[in-house]
Amino acid sequence: MNHSRRTKVVSAIAGAASFALLAAGCSSGGTGSSSSTSSSGPVTLTVTTFGSMGLDGLYKSYEAAHPGITIKANNIDTGGNARTDAFTKIAAGSGLADVLAVEEGWLGAIQNVSDQFNNLKDYGADAIKDRWVPWKLAQATDKSGRIIGYGTDIGPMGLCYNSKLLKAAGLPSDRAEVATLLGGTSATWDKYFAVGKDYQKKTGKAWFDQSGFIWNSMVNQLPEGYYTSAGKLNVTENPELKVRWTQLAAANAAGLSAKQTQWDWNKGKSFTDGKFATFMCPGWMLGVVQGQVKTAGGDAAGATAGWDFADVFPGGAANWGGSFLTVPKQSKHPKEAAALAAWLTDKDQEVAAFKAQGPFPSVVAAQTDPSLAAATGVSAFFNSAPVSTILSKRAEGVKAQVKGPDDSTIQDQVFGPSAIALDQGKSGTQTWNDAMKLLDQLVVNK
Amino acid sequence: MTSTLGQEARTSPPASRPDRRASLTFKNKLGRLDVKYSPYLYVAPFFVLFAVVGLFPLVYTFVVSLNDWNLLSGPGEWVGFGNFAKELHDELFWNSLFNTISIFLLSSVPQIIAATFIAVVLDQNLRARTFWRMGVLIPYVVTPVAVALIFSNMFSPDGGLVNHLLALVGLDPIAWKLDTLPSHLAIASMVNFRWTGYNALILLAAMQAVPRDLYESAELDGAGSVRRFFSITLPSIRPTMIFVILTSTIGGLQIFTEPRLYDAASVTGGGAHRQFQTTVLYLWEMAFQRQNFGRAAAIAWILFLIIVMFGVLNFLISRRIASADTRITSRQAKRRLEAARADTAKTDAVKTDTR
Amino acid sequence: MTRTSAQARKHKPMGMARRPGFLTYGILIALLAGGAYPLWWSFVVGSSPTSVLSQDWPPLLPGGQFWKNVVEVFDTIPFWQALLNSVIVSGVITISVVTFSTLAGFAFAKLRFRGSNALMVFVVATMAIPTQLGIIPLFILMRQFGWTGTVGAIIIPTLVTAFGVFFMRQYLVNVVPDELIDAARVDGANTLSTFWHVAVPAARPAMAILALFTFMMAWTDFLWPMIVAPQNPTLQVALSQLQSARYVDFSVVLAGAVLATLPLLILFAVAGRQLISGIMAGAVKG
Repeated sequence: MNHSRRTKVVSAIAGAASFALLAAGCSSGGTGSSSSTSSSGPVTLTVTTFGSMGLDGLYKSYEAAHPGITIKANNIDTGGNARTDAFTKIAAGSGLADVLAVEEGWLGAIQNVSDQFNNLKDYGADAIKDRWVPWKLAQATDKSGRIIGYGTDIGPMGLCYNSKLLKAAGLPSDRAEVATLLGGTSATWDKYFAVGKDYQKKTGKAWFDQSGFIWNSMVNQLPEGYYTSAGKLNVTENPELKVRWTQLAAANAAGLSAKQTQWDWNKGKSFTDGKFATFMCPGWMLGVVQGQVKTAGGDAAGATAGWDFADVFPGGAANWGGSFLTVPKQSKHPKEAAALAAWLTDKDQEVAAFKAQGPFPSVVAAQTDPSLAAATGVSAFFNSAPVSTILSKRAEGVKAQVKGPDDSTIQDQVFGPSAIALDQGKSGTQTWNDAMKLLDQLVVNK
Repeated sequence: MTSTLGQEARTSPPASRPDRRASLTFKNKLGRLDVKYSPYLYVAPFFVLFAVVGLFPLVYTFVVSLNDWNLLSGPGEWVGFGNFAKELHDELFWNSLFNTISIFLLSSVPQIIAATFIAVVLDQNLRARTFWRMGVLIPYVVTPVAVALIFSNMFSPDGGLVNHLLALVGLDPIAWKLDTLPSHLAIASMVNFRWTGYNALILLAAMQAVPRDLYESAELDGAGSVRRFFSITLPSIRPTMIFVILTSTIGGLQIFTEPRLYDAASVTGGGAHRQFQTTVLYLWEMAFQRQNFGRAAAIAWILFLIIVMFGVLNFLISRRIASADTRITSRQAKRRLEAARADTAKTDAVKTDTR
Repeated sequence: MTRTSAQARKHKPMGMARRPGFLTYGILIALLAGGAYPLWWSFVVGSSPTSVLSQDWPPLLPGGQFWKNVVEVFDTIPFWQALLNSVIVSGVITISVVTFSTLAGFAFAKLRFRGSNALMVFVVATMAIPTQLGIIPLFILMRQFGWTGTVGAIIIPTLVTAFGVFFMRQYLVNVVPDELIDAARVDGANTLSTFWHVAVPAARPAMAILALFTFMMAWTDFLWPMIVAPQNPTLQVALSQLQSARYVDFSVVLAGAVLATLPLLILFAVAGRQLISGIMAGAVKG
């Protein structure tokens, strides 16, 4: 009896395995999302994006307009994980999508291997290259003058704030008033933290969610960040960085940080239960806030959550992030992929993406498009704030910062841990020294 | 007639005898070749394949480690043992080793204890034995990826189940993902969840092999169940226990899935401060994020040597303990069996007498 | 006293020890609940909206949203393709390991040849070599051959295991009597038919056990499939990709985790008894 049952198991496994072998033979090793080689036949294009780029709703209309093209989209949670994924696949020699989103933070590292990406000039880039803000186009052009990416969004920064919480603290809660409160066009970080201390005294609650994003904003604002304009490493040689770090440490010591885990925020609950009153908001972050509130069970209309968007930013104009769509050389359909990338970064599509999740267009015509100002989608969530107008204003005076090859590493892995340590109560000096040590281990003495 | 036939019959075989002898010898030769050389054919596939996919990579890893090898641009200059030197001075490497060993200890020690306890519970005359054994094995069937995702959420500092339970008992919430020791505990609990039932069954098998007479005679002598456990069960199953420890050592020093998925949003594998970054996770980071294959290969080889060292150590210790124990156990067992036999003989004698 | 216990010992059949009490069954039920709870919890959350995680208390009963989340899972990752990949990978590896381990194990156990001892020691020694340490050169090789992204690349590094050979040898040494082999020889059988007609039938239980374990090991492998073929994912890799894509909608992720566990649960329901006897048989032999 036992024997026959065992035999049954063996034959079951043998059967499954033989089926598997047959299937393996039939699927010829399974190359996954490869498509037919004829360019006139049906084509499947793969797209890999990250975060909330707002492109998800656009694929269907492209497919409808281009019968024979199917789009398979894949989204990765953070830019950092997207970077690891991209480089692993570049190293493996296969697996990259036909259209790959690249963040400006690691664009520098991509530029080091720009020969792995198609020169979009071969696919009509010259005809459309004037649609972008010049500095965006320059970022996407490599040393030999090849255009390897089409800009999707830029990240001008405004301030998200919770009007309900500010009102409860007796502070002005109207958009314009908040802007004035923080200093308007001459807003400084000192003023921001001072108002924060005031809020903290009145309510006992934290002012911002965690130090990491404050730090990123502070750095992105500088004319030269982690790298000089010539592309040399510039951390220990940059006195501004130390000054701002000390400021941040002081703010932390005053209890202004809600010590949240970035990209988790307690599954979004921290946005709805009043843990912090302000939040750093580049355009692409607006969709993130909306998504987090929705996950936490708050209504998507946002009215009850109380989040609003003010036309002010400590320290003046700042740009954080911004992405590009590239066409890797691994793609078997560069022509179709380049066409898709060009379409996704065209005026109407960038407007649609903005309406969906808030990433601010890098295409000039889109920035000035009147339909951008319609109070739908993201705008409605933020108390019908004229989000696009605000972001356009905030984009004025933005000077593109040169991002070096290890920029995202320095942001995420050198200063990231120290920012968390600040939240946990470590001193500014100690955390700065820890960061310098990591800089040495991870960047300087690789 | 018959005699003529018989004569004929007798005359024909001698003619063919030399042929048959020749053919026998040939078959014999084949047979001898078969016996002598075919074993090599049987082991050859294994060794050939192993050489290609097992040994060659190991050797090649060593070769890679001697060079300045970039993920994308390939081999650079020869640096000899430079990568090894860098790694031995690499604070982050030692940190990962510390994490690995810490998680390993936190997982195996409670696991062995719990597995032993569960085995004892299962080693009784239960109804629906197989059902309970299968029940204990359910965690083993849940894949590590799923376990990591589930537990990662349960140990969430703000809204996670575990902190809720702590709050219920009146304790402060613990920062499961930020602090070093709590994160090690959380990851160890994932490993324990998966493997405790499995190891319990292994120990159960060993316990079931212990002859019942030992227990009964000990009971007769007045030993309580606790005493019986420590004096009989534990020594008898110690070899199996060492085997369990050995296999979980080799596995435990290579944990990757659980720490990788524990805090998936963190870009640095193993937490922002690398508080739960195990060595294999660090290897992966070095190879695919920092794109330095040479140093990653050096890490791989150092880890390999450490695993071998642990394995050999375990093996030596286990051999000494096991041999000591089997001597003791067999002595005890012999004594008890003799006593029991003497007892039975006496009662038999009494019985025959009374009959 | 001795007489009554002796008599009791004689009259009581060997297996009739005391029946365990409520405490034992209580502990067993607690263990069962503890082991099954995480799976139940993920089913509950996987069938509710994610906001249920921000509640103060975890819900005990499933919400009604499981199918909706499942649809999202299928939308986000190529679930069926991943399942097929896992089956192919695990199946091929299992067949390969069991076949070559039985062949080699038989040779080591029952055949006499020069160097068998040395080679066996070598096999035992290489049992300690962890497969994860060869990933760098394997990755380089796969890239050079252009095999990254293929199911074959996932399979190749684990085609044979030293443990498999060791396991089969230990089993065959005990289970196949030398006399039987000699008898077959005398009857004129060559090694191959001896192997096929004597060793394999006897080895079948161990082959089944080795197959089950190898299958599970291959099924749950994560690191290698993730780096060599993320675009053609196995079920484990697909699950981690689901987590990456839907990190906000965690209930979808957990619904996916439940789906990914189902195949093994089904295998467990079908072959659970074999799995258990396999673990326990291996323990005694080991």
